[in-house]
Amino acid sequence: MSEKKIKNIFVKGPIEPAFIADSIAKHSSKTAIGGHSIFMGQVRKDEIDGKFVAAIEYTAYEEIALDKMHQIREDIFEKYPLHCMHIYHSLGTVKTGEICLFVFTSSAHRKPAIAACDEVVDRLKAELPIWGKEIFEDKTHQWKENS
Amino acid sequence: MEIEIISFGQITEFINNQKIEVDGITDTDAFKQYLEDRFPALKGLKYKLALNKNIVQQNTEITNQATIAIMPPFSGG
Repeated sequence: MSEKKIKNIFVKGPIEPAFIADSIAKHSSKTAIGGHSIFMGQVRKDEIDGKFVAAIEYTAYEEIALDKMHQIREDIFEKYPLHCMHIYHSLGTVKTGEICLFVFTSSAHRKPAIAACDEVVDRLKAELPIWGKEIFEDKTHQWKENS
Repeated sequence: MEIEIISFGQITEFINNQKIEVDGITDTDAFKQYLEDRFPALKGLKYKLALNKNIVQQNTEITNQATIAIMPPFSGG
């Protein structure tokens, strides 16, 4: 197998809006880029049996998740003409209204960036061993299921 | 032989991380059967195993000192 450089995607706690803004700003020197696509996942205040979700606590099997993410990244770069791709996912507690996932793809023209961003989100949800525990306002919990 | 079990998500609520000593179990299919006998709560759930950090897609041989993860359906994002 070729040399692989495994990038970390995990961030402890929520992904701060300032971090996202800074990440966008860093691309101003990459002048071949003409389109960015960004997806942000936000913890939703779902109501289940009269109780509201207050936070999601994320855990992961990190080694497998990073290895899988590396494969997905390689597949996506092979499939779409991207300039760059950045992915961050929270671990630990993220309160409702806070950001738990940030996917950022860039290309010369918009379409590959949009398609790649969408595909990364789909694959990440299906293939990465990450689990969300929905914590209700009364401290009870249920395990999140991706629909 | 000795197997290290690690669990994730909902499964952590009834299977703790632990080292177990088993005899006569040589592959992941047999190991699943062993797990479901020992932890009946697992029977009603969907789960996957990872053997030494590789997700098990088909029946695979288990050797001594293996680490086996028990993983419920993923719910990231």
